[in-house]
Amino acid sequence: MTTAVVPVAADAAGRESAPGRRRPRPRLAPHRRREALFFYLFISPWAIGFLVFLLGPMIFSFYLSFTDWDSFTAPVWVGLDNYITLLTDDPIFLKVMGNTAFYSLISVPLGMVVSLFIANLLNKKVRFRKLFRTLVYLPHLIPIVAVALIFQMVFAPEAGPLNQALALIGIEGPNWLMDARWVKPALILMSLWQAGGGTILLLAGMNGIPKELYEAAEIDGASGFRQFWSVTFPQLTPVIFFNLIMGIIGSFQVFAQVFILTGGGPDNASQMAVPMLFDEAFRFYHMGYGSAIAWILFVVIMIFTAIAFATSGRWVFYESEVRS
Amino acid sequence: MSLTSSPFPRRGLLAGMGAAGAALGLAACGSGSESGATPKSDESHKDFVMTVWGGEADKAAYQARIDLAKEKFPDYTITLQLIPSENYEQKVQTMISSKTGPDIMQVAENVNVYASKKQLVPIDDYLSQGGLDLESTFGPVGANYAWDGATYGVPDRSGAMVLYYNKDLFDEAGVDYPSADWDWDAFLDAAKKLTDPAKGQFGFGGVGWWPQWFSLVAQNGGNVLDPESGAPGVNSPEAVEALQFAYDLYFTHKVAPTSVDYSNMGPDMGADGAFQQGLVAMNATGFWGVGGNAAIEGLNWDIAPFFHGAQQAVSAFGSALVIPTAAKNPQGSFEIIQFLTSAEGQAPIADKGQDVPANLELQESDTFLDPEWLEADVDLQAFPDSADMIFTPKFIPEWNEMQKAIEDAMASFWLGESDAQATADDLQGRLERVIKPTK
Amino acid sequence: MSATTTLPAASGAARRTRPRTLSAFRGGPFTYGMLVILSAIFMVPLVFVVSIALASDSTVSTGQLTILPRDWQFSNFVEIFRTSLPVGRFMINSVIIAVTSAIGQVLSSSLVGYAFARLRAPGKKGLFLIVIATMMVPAQITMIPQFWIFSELGWVDTFLPLIVPQFFSNAFNIFLVRQFVTRIPYEMDEAASIDGLGFFGIYVRLILPMMSPILIAIAIFTLTAMWGDFMGPLIYINSEEKMPLALGVQYLTSTSQELQTPPWNLIMVGSIFLSLPMIVIYYFGQKYMYEMNLSAGSAGVK
Repeated sequence: MTTAVVPVAADAAGRESAPGRRRPRPRLAPHRRREALFFYLFISPWAIGFLVFLLGPMIFSFYLSFTDWDSFTAPVWVGLDNYITLLTDDPIFLKVMGNTAFYSLISVPLGMVVSLFIANLLNKKVRFRKLFRTLVYLPHLIPIVAVALIFQMVFAPEAGPLNQALALIGIEGPNWLMDARWVKPALILMSLWQAGGGTILLLAGMNGIPKELYEAAEIDGASGFRQFWSVTFPQLTPVIFFNLIMGIIGSFQVFAQVFILTGGGPDNASQMAVPMLFDEAFRFYHMGYGSAIAWILFVVIMIFTAIAFATSGRWVFYESEVRS
Repeated sequence: MSLTSSPFPRRGLLAGMGAAGAALGLAACGSGSESGATPKSDESHKDFVMTVWGGEADKAAYQARIDLAKEKFPDYTITLQLIPSENYEQKVQTMISSKTGPDIMQVAENVNVYASKKQLVPIDDYLSQGGLDLESTFGPVGANYAWDGATYGVPDRSGAMVLYYNKDLFDEAGVDYPSADWDWDAFLDAAKKLTDPAKGQFGFGGVGWWPQWFSLVAQNGGNVLDPESGAPGVNSPEAVEALQFAYDLYFTHKVAPTSVDYSNMGPDMGADGAFQQGLVAMNATGFWGVGGNAAIEGLNWDIAPFFHGAQQAVSAFGSALVIPTAAKNPQGSFEIIQFLTSAEGQAPIADKGQDVPANLELQESDTFLDPEWLEADVDLQAFPDSADMIFTPKFIPEWNEMQKAIEDAMASFWLGESDAQATADDLQGRLERVIKPTK
Repeated sequence: MSATTTLPAASGAARRTRPRTLSAFRGGPFTYGMLVILSAIFMVPLVFVVSIALASDSTVSTGQLTILPRDWQFSNFVEIFRTSLPVGRFMINSVIIAVTSAIGQVLSSSLVGYAFARLRAPGKKGLFLIVIATMMVPAQITMIPQFWIFSELGWVDTFLPLIVPQFFSNAFNIFLVRQFVTRIPYEMDEAASIDGLGFFGIYVRLILPMMSPILIAIAIFTLTAMWGDFMGPLIYINSEEKMPLALGVQYLTSTSQELQTPPWNLIMVGSIFLSLPMIVIYYFGQKYMYEMNLSAGSAGVK
């Protein structure tokens, strides 16, 4: 790595936008054409994969959402029936979407705060740091069957460690998994336990923050919290933004935790969109109906993701512009 | 990126065609979907794939049986494909919908999901040609795997639910051991005597699983599903009375642990485990309890046929072998099935302690009743003795939806939060929504 | 901020030594206290898994599963190899699938992500939207048509349906690389381009080395995901000798009847075999993810 000497002042970036941003852009000048050509060439692995493996199935499932299909005999075109039934006549769909939104809108922000907090702890030069970092990631490495068994125990009404801990401070814990009001909070607690997964990227991002920024902040006499808030956080925003988008997309599609731990029960109090579509498509053989759920879910996720992207300009700071 | 160019050696047409998947899909599901009648047999086709579900013990038993079949049909190749139970239906659905289905397939209560969608070969002609009388070979379960006047499956495994009891706890409480003569009152009386809250001991494991409370409803003369049409009837007076009996076991007499009690006993805890720990004196469950209980040292137990109500009725756990329409040589598939379900072909089920073989001749032979794998002194005669009492709910195509409706509607019932009548009415409404009765 | 404008010494070897740890990186009693508490919470599953893995068959059968071990049945670890399932073969298959996939993802995602972060082209915004949108369609719903494609290609019962798509990158990784590349000042590209490097040269010689922590993260994510995935193998693999470990563990979990107690001890032994390699990889892989000082300002590319 000795070829390109780059004389760049460390803090020039981040404060000013890259100079390239407002350069006049002649319409496809030869060098721009070359650049565009390379762009298409470089993204071709994705483009080919998308066209061959994904686009067809997506179009097909979109078509299916307008049919009644049991996955064996020929699909029967039913127009908008599936969508109309789902939105006006399905006994559980609106409840399920409500559950999903509830889960997502609470677990994502909480999870981000927790993972940021943990990452900040793990970024310090502590003893056994590698061990701590590994332990935090552990919940992601244990197979979900094992995780579900563990949480059946954790959430047990009287014998469970969670309620026993609550009893110590005088609170009578609920019957988490069997109580319609508490089963969603239980699933959210479980998702927080897995929040350590988000720390990997945050730590990788923290490692990239120039130490000089902290030196300067220390000379200025900034407190620990102040340093976190004005140095670490802004520098991490691209990663936090990534975690936010992935959190939204992932939590709206929560599947295994629900499917294995609660099965959506009691009486659909914890049923979520993807487990429901899985039931429809693979247990009840309503492929068309299941596809319609998938596409409504797609639109909902799209809306929330779009909102997140729309706000990103205000709080996400890139060293250099994402150029389009 | 040299790999990017190599993935399409065989079918250039797919490369780069975005809608290929869609077009393909339409073609795949459009073609052949009309076929429902007996397809032509390609007798030269001698490779068979057989799909079954289960774990390792099941694999051993099935493989042993297939090995026997290979001796019988030396020019057939039979490949066993074991699929984990939870994923069986999904995998089979994927296989069949893309025309790569098996030649022989294991089915259970879900049989008519496939039969009603014309995905199975009717076997009536083969049965008469092969001289196989299901009723006399397998008892009442012989009639289980039929749909719309045609027969689709040959019973393979079929074990009635029986009553396991802990002899030591009975002796301690001075209660006579259970027998087929017990009615609800005799049972309840014993259960009360066997319950001791001080020791955390319950008389009975409970009836929260459908085979258990369906049996109570049937014993009381009700039907969750009409035997002919499959129409739901869970809020009939007979059914409600049976549910009330169930409710009282938990919340009036408190002789059975509720789901809350079980979850406090440990994760993944149920009646089988509680019975083995001596926390439950009686437990109604299937054949698998024999092997499980036999492995527990110091557990002194036996089995008896399930008690009766106004009538005798008990659920059974079984499965059958069927021929999917995609099978290339249904004639050959049937020959194999006929052998596998004979007393000879089912022997490994008994030998290896996998399950109760459906074949009655085998069920009443010493191969099953006095097996080498079982050292405990247990009277397996309870299984053949129960064979005549077996009632089978109609295997409706909406079986899985029914299960979901039951689970949803009864969640609060089993916690004591809703009474028998309200639960039955609620469940009836949900069942009517998902079940389309045949006329 | 004046201190930061000083250009660090041009050679990594002569990097300025820092006499003391900056306060931001100092761990006090609060830090240690929190870490110990959190680790205890995160540790519970591992202890639980190990304790069940060591449980005897009768403990499992009677449902007496506890967080701390009741028995020390080390023979379970041998027992799992005595089942009729070829567990050793399963492991080899898992290694092949996971490693090849990780290579595929690292190669393809870094290239595509770099293009989305740096290169300008008409239609790029729209394409990026599509990339993100592909993540929003639940995978379950495209499973059957995807199976048709692979079965038409004749790839069923091979590793190809599992591995080949990994060489075409995925949306998650593309987005991730894009987010990280935007942290690298664009001036570096310009300087490199003045030095005569083309786009591919910039990618290979400048961006790729600076991205290595994130590429290692991608490799670890891919390894973990493929190592633990059983749904893909379940659908595509039929023969036992081609199954990966995650699917094998699923077989151990499986019983022929709904209410039968599965052999939890063997399942947990399987879980340990499933988790341990990933834990080890993560433990040692961190060094390359976090310890290399690659930040644009202070060191790294010179």
